[in-house]
Amino acid sequence: MANQHSTTEEQGKRHRHEGPQKHIVAFIFSIVLTVIAFALVAAGEINESFIYIMLLAMAVLQVFIQMSFWMHMKDRGHLFAIVAILFGVFVVLTIVVMAEFWTWW
Amino acid sequence: MSASHVEGKLPHEPEKATLEGRNKVLGFWLFLGGETVLFGTLFSAFLALRHQVLDGNPTSQELFKLSTVAIATLILLVSSLTSVFAIQAMHKNQVKAMLNWLIVTVILGFGFLGLEIYEFYEYVHEGHKFSTSAFSTSFYTLVGFHGAHVAFGVLWITGLIIQIATKKGLTVVTAPKVYVAGMYWHFIDVVWVFIFTVVYLMGKVG
Repeated sequence: MANQHSTTEEQGKRHRHEGPQKHIVAFIFSIVLTVIAFALVAAGEINESFIYIMLLAMAVLQVFIQMSFWMHMKDRGHLFAIVAILFGVFVVLTIVVMAEFWTWW
Repeated sequence: MSASHVEGKLPHEPEKATLEGRNKVLGFWLFLGGETVLFGTLFSAFLALRHQVLDGNPTSQELFKLSTVAIATLILLVSSLTSVFAIQAMHKNQVKAMLNWLIVTVILGFGFLGLEIYEFYEYVHEGHKFSTSAFSTSFYTLVGFHGAHVAFGVLWITGLIIQIATKKGLTVVTAPKVYVAGMYWHFIDVVWVFIFTVVYLMGKVG
């Protein structure tokens, strides 16, 4: 047991701990994207469908950044995580498109 | 402290050190896939019903105040970052720092909840009750469900803090619990990104 522990510790040292830098960068990106989204709406007087598309783009980009870095989805060994989330997104897109475009036909 | 004797003996990523821990993380990802579907159905109901307001009842443009939403968004975003710091402290085996970051996360979670309760209280006073219109029902169901998730997350993380600080310490058994709770907290923030975009900002546009 003791030997096992020391080897994992050495491995840990060789891998070295990831610093907070990239998480702070992800945070700054999230803040910037959020501010742009709020500013677009607060400004008003802009083409409505353009705002919709921009807002959705900001949200998707922000979620992508947060899931990649904060939830470590970009790291190794997250294939099933990606499959699970993509399955959820697929179902969600189907029902959202149904609700948005077919309900009041 | 009960945690001190464990210090320095934990592997690099204690949440992935055992098969049980890895399975817990994998299972939680599958759960989050299901949660995505759950929130997706609530979003689709809201999108279908958000313009269904009778004359005289408040619409989303009249109701929403962007300043409140912006503060709530900032609180939740910062709390997501502090939970990242908690996990990083856990990876460095700094139990105390981890607990402190988790406490900050919980406090911010309570702040978010307080703001949301205040917001709902205001809306009800402006005649926007749960049964006022199809818009109000789908709004409270979607945003309230997210709020309930925040409330559950706050209780969950509080429980973990108490368990680790007073009894178990940081071990290969408790580490996956903290990691999974962190994932849950990020997921709540991810859902909130779509709520402030689709419900509030798009509701303000029209």
